[in-house]
Parts: sequence; C-alpha cells; structure tokens
Amino acid sequence: MNLLRIKALAYKEWREILRDRLFLSLAFILPVSMMLIFGYGMKMDVENIPFAVLDQDRTAMSRDYLHLFMDSRYFDYKGHVESERELEPLLADSRIRFAIIVPPQFQESLLAGKPVAVQSLIDGTFPFRTSTSKGYVIAINAAFNGKLLAGFISQRMGISPEQAAALAQPVKPQLRYLYNQELKSIWSIAPSMIMFILLMTPPFLTALGVVREKENGSIYNIYSSTVTRGEFLAGKLLPYVGISIVNVLLLWLLAVTLFGAPFKGDPLFFFGASIIYVTCTTGIGLLVSLFARTQVAAMMITVVVTIVPAVLYSGLLVPIASMDAASQFEAHLFPAMYYTDIALGSFLKGIGMGQLWGRVAALLLYTLVLWTASYLLFHKRVRA
Amino acid sequence: MKPDTPLTEGRLYLWWSRMAAMTGKELLQLGRDTLLVGAVLYLFTLDIMMAGGVKMDLNQGTVMVHDADHSRASRELIYRFQPPYFKLGGEILDQNEGIRLLDQGKALVVLDIPPQFQHDLIQGKPTSVQVQVDTSNTVLGTLAANYSAQIIGKYSFDAALQRIGLAEESLAGVPMLVDQHRVWYNPNQKDAWFMSISELLTVITVLAMMLPAAAAVREKERGTIEQLVVSPLTPVQILLPKVIAMTLVILLGTAMSVGLVLYGYFHIPIKGSLPLFFAVTALYTFAMSGLGLFISTISRNLAQAAMLTIMIMMPIILLSGAWTPPEAMPPGIRQAMYLSPLYYYIEMAYGILLKGAGLKVLWDSLLGLGLLGSLVFGFGVWRFRKQFG
Repeated sequence: MNLLRIKALAYKEWREILRDRLFLSLAFILPVSMMLIFGYGMKMDVENIPFAVLDQDRTAMSRDYLHLFMDSRYFDYKGHVESERELEPLLADSRIRFAIIVPPQFQESLLAGKPVAVQSLIDGTFPFRTSTSKGYVIAINAAFNGKLLAGFISQRMGISPEQAAALAQPVKPQLRYLYNQELKSIWSIAPSMIMFILLMTPPFLTALGVVREKENGSIYNIYSSTVTRGEFLAGKLLPYVGISIVNVLLLWLLAVTLFGAPFKGDPLFFFGASIIYVTCTTGIGLLVSLFARTQVAAMMITVVVTIVPAVLYSGLLVPIASMDAASQFEAHLFPAMYYTDIALGSFLKGIGMGQLWGRVAALLLYTLVLWTASYLLFHKRVRA
Repeated sequence: MKPDTPLTEGRLYLWWSRMAAMTGKELLQLGRDTLLVGAVLYLFTLDIMMAGGVKMDLNQGTVMVHDADHSRASRELIYRFQPPYFKLGGEILDQNEGIRLLDQGKALVVLDIPPQFQHDLIQGKPTSVQVQVDTSNTVLGTLAANYSAQIIGKYSFDAALQRIGLAEESLAGVPMLVDQHRVWYNPNQKDAWFMSISELLTVITVLAMMLPAAAAVREKERGTIEQLVVSPLTPVQILLPKVIAMTLVILLGTAMSVGLVLYGYFHIPIKGSLPLFFAVTALYTFAMSGLGLFISTISRNLAQAAMLTIMIMMPIILLSGAWTPPEAMPPGIRQAMYLSPLYYYIEMAYGILLKGAGLKVLWDSLLGLGLLGSLVFGFGVWRFRKQFG
C-alpha cells in the first residue's frame, strides 16, 4: 500500500466528481430531498377513513351509536345508503373503505336486554389499514358496550350510574408509550430514513463510478499502471465514503432541527457507527461493480440488492419483530436492520455501545466480508 | 423525407419495417446483457415472492410480565396475551429489568400487574394494569398498544359480567353489541396479497422508467446516438422502438409474475379481466417511459440518469397511496397525489385484480392516467426531439 498513490487516485476521482456538476449536486441533493419528501409525506397513520352507514333501525339509539363513528377523527362520514347492494360499488371504487350496518330492531332488542349483532364491512385491499380500522370499530363498540352494561347493572342492582360504571369496567389499562410519548411517527421515520438513504445512495454512486471506467475503457489505464488492487479500491472509494459521511451529518441535522426528532444517545458513538455503515454500503456498490460490465446492469443490480431490502427488511415499513421466521432470517442477512436499531436506539432510546455493540460488530463483519470479497474478485488482468 | 407527401403502402411498409428493426435491435441489446436480464427476471419473480412473505401486522410481539399478585385472576389475564399478536416471553422480577429488556428491543410490551389485583376485583374496587409499550417504531407500537387495550378491555368486560353474577351462557340476557366483521376482497387479510401486488407495481414503475432512460443515455454516452441521428430514422423512430421494446419486456415479465407468483404461488383469485389489466399496464408503462425519456435528455451519463430516476421515482411511489393512505394526508400533499401516475395505476390494479372492478367503476382513474400519461409522454418525446431533431 503506497499512500501517495492512494492519494493521487482519490484526488483524480474527486476531480472527476467535481467536474460532473450534475452528479456532484445530485450526490448531496438526492439524500436531502429524499429526507424532506419522506419526512413530510410519510404518514402511516390511519385516519379519516371514508365510510358509509346503512341504518335499518332509524331510532334515537341507533343514531347515538352511529354518531360515535361520525364524531371520531378516525372516520370520515360519507353518507347514508338505503340497501346493502348500494355499498358494493362504493367499496369497489374506493369511495368508502368501510361500512357499518345497523340491523332492524336495534333499539328494541337492546332495551329488552338482548344482544345485537352489528355488521361492519371493511375493504381488505390494504391489510394494515384493515386491521387498524377493525381495531377502531372494536374500540368504539367496546365503549358503547361499557355504557350499555353500566345502564344494565344500575337497573338490575339498583345502584347509582356512577357506581355501576365502576363495576362495568373494573380493570383499566394504563398505557405508557416509551421512547415516543406522543406517538409522533416522524420521530421514528426520520432516523429510519437516515438508514434508508445511506443504504441506497452510496452503492449507486460507487457502482456507477467504477463501472463507468470499465465501460469507457479507462480502467485499462489502471490495469497497465503500477497501482495495486488494494490501492485502486481504496483510492477510488475514498471520495465516495467522504461524500456519504458529509451526508450523514446533513441528514442528522435535518432530522434533529427540521423534524425535531430527539437525539438522546451519544453523538460520537452514532457517528462512529454511521461511518462503519456507509463504508459497508459503499462496499456493496463496489462488489456489484465488479460483477457488472455495463452501467445499466450495475444500476439494476444495485436496485435489487439495496432498495428492496431497504424497504422490506430494514424495519422501515415492516417491523422485523412481526415477520415470519423466513423473512426474519433474510432480514438478518442485510446490514440495514442492524443500523436501524443503532439509529432508533441513538435517537429515541438513548442507548449506546453498551447495548448496541452486537449490532456494530455485525456491521463491521459485514464491511470486512464485502471489502475482502471485492479485493479477491478484482483482477488487474482481463480474463479472456 | 418530407412529412407532407402522402403515405403510400410502400412508405408505410418501410416505416414499420424500420420500427421493427429498431425494436429488434433494442431487444437484442437487452438480451445480450445477461446480468441485466437476470436482474429483471429476479425482480419479476423471486423478489415479489420475498415481498409477499413480509407481514405488516403485529406478529408474536414479546410480552414480559411483572406479576406482583400471582393470583388466579392475574394468570387469567396474562394468558390472554396469545399468538398471533403476542407471545409470552416470561416473567420478570422488577421494573428495571423490564426497562432494560425494552431498551434492548427484547420485549415489545411489559405488563405490570399490581399487588391485590384479584382482591380488588372481588371487592369491586376499580384497579388498573400498567402496559409499557416500545413505540420507537410507531407503527408497531400503536398496534401493540391497541391490541393490549383490546385484550384488557375484554378481560375487564368479562370480569364485570362475572362480578354481577352472569355466567357466559346467559349472555343472551345482556344488552350488548356483538362485533361482526366482514372483510371484502381479502377475507383472511393475507398480507401476501397486498404486498405481492404492491411489489409488482413498484417493480413495473422502476423498470418502466429506468430501462428506456438507460437505453437512451447509453447511446448518448457511447456516442452511438450520432450514428442513429445521421441515419434516415426520424427521432420518433429512434425513440419509440426503445419504449416499445421495454414495454414488451415489462409486459412479458408482468405476465410471468401474475401467472407464476400472484396466481400460482400466492393463490390470489384474479377477479377482474386480465386483458384490461394488461392494457392498463401497457398504458402506465408508456406514461412512465415518457418520464424516463425526459430524464435521458437532461443527463449526460448513466450515473446522472440513475440518480435522477431515483429522485423522481421516490415521490411517485410515496404519493401513490399504497403505503400512505390518501385520506390521512395533509391537504396539499393529498392534491399532489393526483399528479402521481402510480396513484391511478394502483387504484386500477387493485381494483381489477382483487375487487373485480371493470371499466364502469374505474373509468375515472383510466381517464386520469390517460391524460397524465399522454402529457408526460408527449413532454418526454418533445424534449427528445428538441435535442436530436
């Protein structure tokens, strides 16, 4: 390893990046704009669910019941229908996602002390929204049931409504939301986005940078020079790792200032782990570039090995804990998951090396494997 | 070649044969890049299968229990935290251990049952159970909190009934609502149905933008575009074959994916008309390739094209409504969704594949995609012609 040669190579690469103005600006604009778009646009909260009502009872009690839905911020009342048949086209066209059907004799049965079945039709196209909507319906029905039961108890046992209400709900859940008391989704999205963006952009920059030399043929200059494999890889990638480290800082600043995510952990630990992470993801790009002969192929493969796992196996949209065994196994094969834990841990939980050393070790191992594999696969001799 | 001379049969034939030759050239060029073909094949098959294996709902979140009562009542409550949503991780002895497990991500929920829990229940004194939930991931945390509240609510309701001396069998004499849910289009709420279709649409979006953009930029970067420009081909004849070839590849891939993965592997009952689905897919691919062509006119090399593609693609995917419900978006962003071609395509794709909707229901989305698509595609072609015409 000759440090002077590495420096020269890195400088050459840096000049090349500097001269490609569009590329250079995109290298910084892309991560920042992705952070802004996702930070402002990524709302996973299920609210304002459009719904319709079929009230076959039309009594004071059924109206009271339906008002629980209409007044809820989770639901958005779209109107009454006259028959069940009218609901189908509304659901098919996504004009409503949910419908509630109050049966005839709703009030009569309840006053007579009999149970009543209330039907809800839910659009199952988006299962996550379906189960959340279902949860809201169950909660509203449970609240209504609590009141019914309190009334029933007070009548039957001849006690005051307040005493009856206490009897009707003897156990109260006391929920404590740890790490994110107000359930602000941006608090968990902002740190996850740092993971996502830094998984995607460094491999793209690297893979295209290396394959461009292959496709243009300028790599033959390297082949015929005295530069060794190790020196080439180090020098070539240094600028890209540098760009990514600057991006770590930019994204961190955005998350903390613009989106107001709390950073409770140790900044030094976080930046150290982040540098390992970007070195690792840069290594992914490097490995891809050694296989691909054309930039198009490099681009496609990078999409396959980064975007897909970043979306599916990182915990960004789908929590790792709720995956089945096979997917969990796959998630452990990608570096994204470890860094998600580090980012969320540093930001929201305020934990550091003590708890997260295993994750950091996994990233280090990943980086070592990638770079060693690249070193072994890179040859200065073209195979015939 | 003057454009105003009438098209004779021979000229028409020549025009078409040039188009066919160019389309053939594009397909051949694509086919020779084995790694690229492999990546496309992978995206249309294995990738979608993997995506379908991912579950969105809470699946066996670990519950740790701090039971200070150790009574029949507390055990009954604890054992209600069962799969599929929860699994019991075991008992902990003090609260600090609970915090430690939550910190490390080894527990999602810590349940804290107070002493005298059973005693209070029998006495008719209100009591409470503390539930600590890790909400560092808000989606998962919210689900866990909701399900825990449901379980405790149900337990409380049952305890109330028992307290006033009503056993389960005489429930017919209690006024209460009985939940009856019917979920349409995906009755068992299989995440695989949603995930696999969503992934297929994402793959189509990525490829429909990247392949034509890459094919055009590559010619620029290598200088072969000069050869094409000096040939008797018109800009449209250079351009359209790229789009046609890539659309063909994407349609073929989609067919494979729908047949083998969606229907064959995940057993999604394809309810609507497949010809309509493929027609809509072709229209969508055309619209997105317009964006790809636009990108190819601004960028000088593939690295730039790749980054621009991602930058344009991300908001389109985000604003499509697959991950983020349109109705929950803030007003400005909600209107911006109408500018995402994927928004219309998603509506139609799910409508046709899962809901069995036809043109009667989907005409407005089709119109939206058609208008937006011709605008985008026209713009892409116009830019390209301006640059090479």
